[in-house]
Amino acid sequence: MKCKFFNKKFKKRDDGHENFDYIRSTQTSMRGPRRQVEAWSSKRYRIQTSVSSRKDQKRRKGMSMSESKKPSLEDWKAATEKGLKGKPLSSLEWSTPDGINIKTVYTKADVEGLSNQDTLPGFAPFLRGPHTTMYAGRPWTIRQYAGFSTAEESNAFYRRTLAGGGQGVSVAFDLATHRGYDSDHPRVTGDVGKAGVAVDSVEDMKILFDGIPLGQISVSMTMNGAVLPVLASYIVAAEEQGVQQKELRGTIQNDILKEFMVRNTFIYPPAPSMRIVGDIIEFTSKNMPLFNSISISGYHMQEAGADASLELAYTLADGKDYVKTAVERGMGVDDFAGRLSFFFAIGMNFYLEIAKLRAARMMWCEIMEGFGAKKASSKMLRTHCQTSGWSLTFQDPYNNVVRTTIEAMAAVFGGTQSLHTNALDEAIALPTDFSARIARNTQLILQEEAHITHVADPWGGSYLMETLTQQIADKAREVMKEVDKAGGMVKAIEAGLPQRRIEEAAARRQGNIDRGLETIVGVNKYKLKQEEAIDARKVDNKAVRLSQIDRLNKIKANRDSAKVKAALDALTKAAESGTGNLLELSVNAMRVRATLGEVTEAMEKIFGRHTPHTSTVSGVYGKVWADDPQWLDLKKDVDAFTAKEGRRPRMLVVKMGQDGHDRGAKVIASAFADAGFDVDLAPLFQTPQEVAEQAVENDVHVVGVSTLAGAHTTLIPELIQELKKKKADDVVVVCGGVIPQQDYDELRAAGVAEIFGPGTSVAVSARKVIQRIAR
Amino acid sequence: MPRFDTETYVQGVLQGDRRMIAKAITLIESTLHQDEEQTQEIIGQLLPYCGKSLRIGITGPPGAGKSTMIEALGLHLLKNKRRIAILAVDPSSKLSGGSVLGDKTRMGRLMANNDIFVRPSAAGETLGGVARKTRETMLVLEAAGFDTVLVETVGVGQSETVVADMTDFFLLVALPNAGDELQGIKRGIMEMADAIVVNKADGPFEDSAKQAAHVLRSALQVMHHPRPDWELPVFLASARTGLGIDEIWKSMLRFQEVMMANGVLQSRRREQNLEWMTTLVREELERRFDSHPEVQYLMPDLRRKVSDGRITAVRAASMLMQAFAVG
Repeated sequence: MKCKFFNKKFKKRDDGHENFDYIRSTQTSMRGPRRQVEAWSSKRYRIQTSVSSRKDQKRRKGMSMSESKKPSLEDWKAATEKGLKGKPLSSLEWSTPDGINIKTVYTKADVEGLSNQDTLPGFAPFLRGPHTTMYAGRPWTIRQYAGFSTAEESNAFYRRTLAGGGQGVSVAFDLATHRGYDSDHPRVTGDVGKAGVAVDSVEDMKILFDGIPLGQISVSMTMNGAVLPVLASYIVAAEEQGVQQKELRGTIQNDILKEFMVRNTFIYPPAPSMRIVGDIIEFTSKNMPLFNSISISGYHMQEAGADASLELAYTLADGKDYVKTAVERGMGVDDFAGRLSFFFAIGMNFYLEIAKLRAARMMWCEIMEGFGAKKASSKMLRTHCQTSGWSLTFQDPYNNVVRTTIEAMAAVFGGTQSLHTNALDEAIALPTDFSARIARNTQLILQEEAHITHVADPWGGSYLMETLTQQIADKAREVMKEVDKAGGMVKAIEAGLPQRRIEEAAARRQGNIDRGLETIVGVNKYKLKQEEAIDARKVDNKAVRLSQIDRLNKIKANRDSAKVKAALDALTKAAESGTGNLLELSVNAMRVRATLGEVTEAMEKIFGRHTPHTSTVSGVYGKVWADDPQWLDLKKDVDAFTAKEGRRPRMLVVKMGQDGHDRGAKVIASAFADAGFDVDLAPLFQTPQEVAEQAVENDVHVVGVSTLAGAHTTLIPELIQELKKKKADDVVVVCGGVIPQQDYDELRAAGVAEIFGPGTSVAVSARKVIQRIAR
Repeated sequence: MPRFDTETYVQGVLQGDRRMIAKAITLIESTLHQDEEQTQEIIGQLLPYCGKSLRIGITGPPGAGKSTMIEALGLHLLKNKRRIAILAVDPSSKLSGGSVLGDKTRMGRLMANNDIFVRPSAAGETLGGVARKTRETMLVLEAAGFDTVLVETVGVGQSETVVADMTDFFLLVALPNAGDELQGIKRGIMEMADAIVVNKADGPFEDSAKQAAHVLRSALQVMHHPRPDWELPVFLASARTGLGIDEIWKSMLRFQEVMMANGVLQSRRREQNLEWMTTLVREELERRFDSHPEVQYLMPDLRRKVSDGRITAVRAASMLMQAFAVG
């Protein structure tokens, strides 16, 4: 699965380390032998750096040439150019997607004059790490995620993990819960129990944490949309275990801004959503001092296509807006800033990802000083990292183990506090026991076999790394200036600014990959002739839904409905008047067994449900391809079709259900339009009936379904049935996204014409579509 | 795409069969000659059932929030028991010819309702052509029983004129900023408008919207407005809060009443029909000219000669017209 969102939870320990729930065997502290070090520092390998001044050269004049003349950068250039046979030196250089130029060699001259040189870990600006000893004192926390459909299954998994030495649990919810719908809601038939656990009420929460002492175990919850009822039911479940609020420890993601930007699992519009964030920060800082009130996430931005500097800039800008929101409510910065945490993605851009984490800490320290923070813990950026799900490939999936290892190393060199490593099959489905074990072992090997942990910030002082840290910080500052000019992140998001920037980056990248300008092993180069099917986990969504509905009915039959109504009315009133703490009122409602959907709706009456205004970029994908023969052939096909049919091929691109990850859908829409299609882009969160209606009204030739969250086996056959009902069975249905091989037969039998796995280029898929609709 | 016989299209549309309405619109939009002929037959048979709707044109500069305004208006009209058809023309990319049609994402709240039909179209290569097709599409939807037709156009080029020429009421949506020489809205467009609405009058923009409305009102005082018995209103509205939406709708109804009473609406439609006829003739002439074998034979050579300056444009044109006239 590409679409998981992990969260960190930390528990403050006396030594000042965040203790992300971790799995760790006894720490070994073997020292490596010193011999290699001697060998490499022998005279033969010592190389003169660029700043060798004239004075140095003069001083050396008297000595014999062979021993004394240190080659200068000019000498290096001359020697290198000789080998290049006429090509310029710049032909060896590489420009990152952010536009940072990576040179072939870095010298002392590059770092001269850089600020924040010669700082130390554990001291402001924390560029070299938040703690003095970093992993030498204690390694990062291994935080593995796993999602299960029902509270019972998840509970069993958490108990197994805890028995095996884990110190916390990480809850992933299903999409229906994220979007504030009870499991019996007609809009979520395909979503219940997919990609996480379904929680409708306190009763589900109690099962989820049955036998788990919430006063001792830290709980991380990836929740942003339905953050109020979920956090409230957790609080009530604890209360009914006899655990007080002040004892609760863990983290709630609660980062709504990035939802509006990329992930789309929001419920209310931005303004009331920010009020909710503020209410939560306020409530937790008063009543739950051990609980991290927010996890400011760049992860999903990178997954949506942002390059490293965009991810860095927008994450920090989001953080700024949250701090501002809390300060404007009259809270003191130092009262809550220590409970803000971060979450970044680590992709395959090795050097740059390390630099990103170093730059992030340096910049956050500056930002918090700007807010007048005094305590060190307020200025110190602590982060969870996850290896990039997007970088995983569906093809030749064992390669993913290697990719994840490289990304994990970058996260560790960058100084993360906790880490999730993706399982090799996550581009296909939820991890199996086997793939989850390999993913966990990847981190254990890094911690216990590779001797990486002995040195804090091992890249400190590297000419390359220090330069890159400064460069990416500079890039990010430019982007943040643009945000400031737009009036802050909320305004910028409302104007669609960051969304546009991220979409452009995504379309450009996809164009480069599809055309083979960027290599992905096994996808666009070194491809396997025959892919071997691997086992993938399958979820019986219908059974989960029925059992949830059953439990909901029982709760509704056995509660005091007058009390429920009063509690819900109080919520509606507080939403309307702008007074009262919404989390506190949600706790009251969940306590008397209101459901998640009811609490959501009580506020929705006033706030409304947010409808995103989808925009797409155009021309970006096509520009990369421009004169490619494959692309020209495709355009010829499109023109031929248009001439014969009397109109352009028309395709409706849709996502159904509550999955809001629309990077794929947008890239497809934009690329097909560049190829000459007329593309209708459907709103998010549609039901199959709505999609069929739109396909009929717009009289499209083809519906293209983008699916990532596993709801395809329910929703796509339903769509085809709906089309039949409307006598529109001439409409061709194709789909793409994350679809395990084992589902192909089922989908084809239901009437799907083409299934495009990840890595199919638009040049190929669009031609197949044309052939299909021309029949 | 499967085609049907004319009777099937006509009966389908008259019965309000959504799939046949959609198919008829596709036929209208087709660039194939035989489809155009069948379209004319269908329109001919549907015409007796047309003409009963209120036709509203909506334009404004990009970013003025036309789609959200239409969504808000549409929801309001539904409450007033109207059946609404919304036609929107999205610009096509000059480079690829393709386009992303975003209206349904922008009007999400209007979907899944039997009393609403939303059909976005790509502008394609020629704007004028689409506009003619929009007129015919409008007729099909009227025949299918929709009593209010909203036609949205992008606020660039001459599309406003074309849309104004086929609607009863022309609404101009303006941005809430007073400066920038009235936001580049051309005087000609202001003269065509029957009402102006300053959108996004909410939250931080409220003050600037009020100011923009004020500036527009004073600009209008010195401008001659061609409609009798009608003082052009300027509304403040917010698609988000619903401010002004009811006022706009009431003003449209009042306009219809006044213009029916003084006969302007009837004469406007008569003129529009004449304009329609002229357009059809011109387009047919152009099509015949372009597909004339003699013209096609002479054209490449003459183009070369004119561009090289070997003969004059006047001479070449006259040669082409002669060839066309002969047969």
